[in-house]
Amino acid sequence: MKTYTYTESQKLFQRATKVIPCGIYGHLSPAPLIPADAYPFYVSKALGSRFWDVDGNEFIDYMCAYGPMVMGYNYKPVDDAAARQYAQANCVTSPGPVMVELAEKLVDVVSIADWAFFAKNGNDVTTYASMVARKATGRKKMVLIKGGYHGVAPWAQTFGHHGILEEDGQNTIRIPWNDFEAFKKVVDQHPNDIAGFMATPYHHPTFVDNEMPAPGYWEKVETLCKAKGIVLIVDDIRCGFRLDMRGSHEYFGFKPDLVCFCKAIGNGYPISALVGTDALKNDAAKVFYTGSYWFSAAPMAAALATLNEMEAINGPKVMTEFGEKLKKGLVDVAANHGYDLKVTGHPAMPYLRITDDPTLMLHQNWCAECTKRGAFFSSHHNWFVSTAHTREDLDRTLEIADDAFLAIKNNNE
Amino acid sequence: MNHDLVLANLNLYAVLPNLEELVRHDEEMALLTRDWDICIQFSVLRGPSAFVEFKNGTCTVGRGKHSNPTVKLFFLTPGHMNKMFDGKSQPVPLKGFTKLGFLAKEFSKLTDRMEYYLKPTEDSLSNPDFVFLNTLMTMHTAGRAVSELALGDPVGKHVVQGMMDGSLMMKVLPEGPAITINFKNGRASMQKGESANPMACMFLKNMEIANSLLNQKLDAFSAIAGGDVMIRGQTPMLDAMDLILDRIPHYLDA
Ligand SMILES: Cc1ncc(COP(=O)(O)O)c(C=O)c1O
Repeated sequence: MKTYTYTESQKLFQRATKVIPCGIYGHLSPAPLIPADAYPFYVSKALGSRFWDVDGNEFIDYMCAYGPMVMGYNYKPVDDAAARQYAQANCVTSPGPVMVELAEKLVDVVSIADWAFFAKNGNDVTTYASMVARKATGRKKMVLIKGGYHGVAPWAQTFGHHGILEEDGQNTIRIPWNDFEAFKKVVDQHPNDIAGFMATPYHHPTFVDNEMPAPGYWEKVETLCKAKGIVLIVDDIRCGFRLDMRGSHEYFGFKPDLVCFCKAIGNGYPISALVGTDALKNDAAKVFYTGSYWFSAAPMAAALATLNEMEAINGPKVMTEFGEKLKKGLVDVAANHGYDLKVTGHPAMPYLRITDDPTLMLHQNWCAECTKRGAFFSSHHNWFVSTAHTREDLDRTLEIADDAFLAIKNNNE
Repeated sequence: MNHDLVLANLNLYAVLPNLEELVRHDEEMALLTRDWDICIQFSVLRGPSAFVEFKNGTCTVGRGKHSNPTVKLFFLTPGHMNKMFDGKSQPVPLKGFTKLGFLAKEFSKLTDRMEYYLKPTEDSLSNPDFVFLNTLMTMHTAGRAVSELALGDPVGKHVVQGMMDGSLMMKVLPEGPAITINFKNGRASMQKGESANPMACMFLKNMEIANSLLNQKLDAFSAIAGGDVMIRGQTPMLDAMDLILDRIPHYLDA
């Protein structure tokens, strides 16, 4: 199979390093893509489940922009809705009626939602959620999960990282995932001082297998939060609308007080949302929180269209079915070559790891070889599938995976 | 641990051992020390200690107390010793008074030369031999500093606690020097050379790239993306090591 080269990506990157700190920063930095020279850095166009890089290489995309793409790139019904709104009014002195419509839609769709608040990024709403929890309870501390990611605000980062002070984490307590006893202990140790518990619906850190909640875990957490007046916050930024349209808490059968959404809500248009219960509405109203672009109407129109379309086709079901087939197909291909490919997490957001090598180098080689053949696989982060991934994509992906296993075997010999 | 104590540990356990490579690789220094038969003990009151021994043309720097040193240099506080490393104070000699002239003249030639290699200038970097030794020494200093910072620096301690066990290898390509840092139960230790089964690796494309990276002139993210630095394996270990290494300037360049 032909493999790709990335001359134009590299050229552009060299230009970038002169004018942009580290060329490409944050989660799109090529540094965790190993080896970086197996990956494209810049995209020139995208359509459906695929994108083309600046060298003209075509990829079936299993990262979906790290989550925001959920119905396919350039998905017409969403783009049309956004275009109509752009033509009318976008970022103006007052918000558009679409803001009310979108809030009504979320209240209608998400099971615990009595109200919705809009911002741009995931971190905007996780931070807002923690502020609402603090306002509502008059308490200071937030309990988070070790290895859980809620954005880049200093309170959500860990000490040791650049620009983060020890004091920034003074009111953040981190406990292991699925360890209810640890939560109980923290609550006992800090009576009347825990404002909120925030976690993702299941544990999806990078570099390690993803973990579903243990039976009864969420139920116990919910019960304790209710008993102690702790605000229960679900960070549904990555899972939201991929597991269940009503919110991933419904998928796991519990009822939080606040839910943060971002990635899949607008199919790539910049918007995030915090939804919550009536009991917290007045507290949410009191916390001053805003941003220059938070009222832009076009992303709201895009989000409304995305939610309508996803509901109409039952997006989570479509993605789950594709994810199941992908999982089975890849596990079988790996097994044919004598490798144990472990797939954890939800099928719509699978995390993959070849277990035969604890250093991950084998897995990294395989993901790199697949990418060079046109299936964009990251080796350290959960993947994402979309409703745009097709049977043809699946077949091609399995061919690529097979050829990549041959290649790593040959390279090792 | 306070700042002075961490710095004293870095001076004794991360910087001073560079004398070994200096004597091995610098011809002039090899010649100078060829016939030395002496052991100098450095001790801080209720603090760290190390010795430098010259015998048969080789130099060995050891941790702790030597059984029979020729010269004993004593420091009242870690700060007192750090000042000596900056050339701003004198130790209290407890043994080997007859050697004080030697220390002032001969031994200080050696330490001056070490400092020359550890503090590159544009001029000195135009000499490939200098680049090699500066890279080697900086790499070793960095590797040894990781274990000291993991013990004593608040950020280093915090970061190392979260690290998985295993070894991490850094190597200059194609056949340049390498170090391995072993992490176990929140402690780190360095050994010179490669590791057979590293959990994570960092390969530096050539001596020049290695030199720029180790002297903090190169942004690692850009270098990785551009292919000058190649990483593999459990790369969160490398991220963590990087956070620890970034603490060095809080002590050594201060
Ligand atoms: C679970 C989770 N929470 C929060 C965030 C932060 O979102 P953003 O990068 O949009 O601020 C992310 C982003 O990856 C995420 O995956």
